[in-house]
Amino acid sequence: MIFREVEDRDLIAKARQGDVEAYNLLVSRWEKRIFNYLLRLVSNREDALDISQETFLKAYQNLRKLDDPARFSAWLFRIAHNEAFSLLRRRKPESELSEPRPRDFGGRLLPIELSLAVESALKVLSEDQREAVLLKVYQGFKFDEMAEILGIPVSTVKSRLYTALDLLKATLAPAVLRKGGLA
Amino acid sequence: MGCKLEDRRPDWKSYALGELDARARQEAESHVAVCADCQDELAGLRVTLDAMATLREEELPRRIAFVSDKVFEPRWYEKLFLRPSFAAAAVIAAAILVHAFVRPLGAPASAPSQAIAQVDTSAIEARVTAEVTERLQSEMAAAVNTAVTKAVADTEKRDDQRTAQLLSASDRRYSDAADFLNKQVTRIYALNTGAGVR
Repeated sequence: MIFREVEDRDLIAKARQGDVEAYNLLVSRWEKRIFNYLLRLVSNREDALDISQETFLKAYQNLRKLDDPARFSAWLFRIAHNEAFSLLRRRKPESELSEPRPRDFGGRLLPIELSLAVESALKVLSEDQREAVLLKVYQGFKFDEMAEILGIPVSTVKSRLYTALDLLKATLAPAVLRKGGLA
Repeated sequence: MGCKLEDRRPDWKSYALGELDARARQEAESHVAVCADCQDELAGLRVTLDAMATLREEELPRRIAFVSDKVFEPRWYEKLFLRPSFAAAAVIAAAILVHAFVRPLGAPASAPSQAIAQVDTSAIEARVTAEVTERLQSEMAAAVNTAVTKAVADTEKRDDQRTAQLLSASDRRYSDAADFLNKQVTRIYALNTGAGVR
């Protein structure tokens, strides 16, 4: 991870000097994580891809404004977060019409079914709660980094995440525990 | 039976998410070994997190490679200015020029090295660069204008002097030629009318 950060810093320095290939390498390193974060957040592949593209374009245009290259990942996710919520706000009236409901997976769960159950359970969460789970559980950010990305206090980060975990536990537990899905 | 620690029970969510420091983690582990209630809570959290780990990352439907497009490459002058050495040199050059142009009248002209010494390059940030660049452009335009005007004036002056010299030389030559002609005419007249014929 340390080497990775050093290398990222190197690439950022080169990209700041106009080295397009260095930036392309940065994109190839981060595109999958950014895409998956956005995909789970906006629940639409095309939208996630468009926002990923927009995120990397904005990051490229504003790379010189990045104060601390060591915090590139949090800065990049902050841009992705802003882009995603800009889309979600525009989309709001439409999405409010259909409240997602957890799917009922009867019987012992196969791995793929468990994945679908998790995907379904994530959609039950509010966007804020879901994003907190995505950043912590799937992207591995620390609480303080999440606070930076989301622009909220650490206490709010913890509150959103803890509520989300309780909801996920309640949603997934019947299927997973009763049917021994993880056995 | 509930946890004896009640409100002071370990923060199991932070524990499961790897956010506790080493000491708090050790205390939590000592406690969970003897507390069935906390064991249940931690087990439930782990099952939930294990279930969530089954969700795999998806591959991108297509690569994000727009930056390789030529249209996004910086132009040659942008590349030049992005190089720290060039940018620093440009800023120093701009500072010297600005210093030269804004120096109060009557103030002694300082050597370029003194001007450089007055510039703290480490303190010059992007904002200063932009301001200096803008000022440099206007000062350069003014300087070029002044230099061109002066050059034209000098050339005109030199042309006038040269023309005057040529005219003067021409006058002298004309005068000499006229004298010569007069002398020749006088001589011919003398020859026709005087002893020369005889």
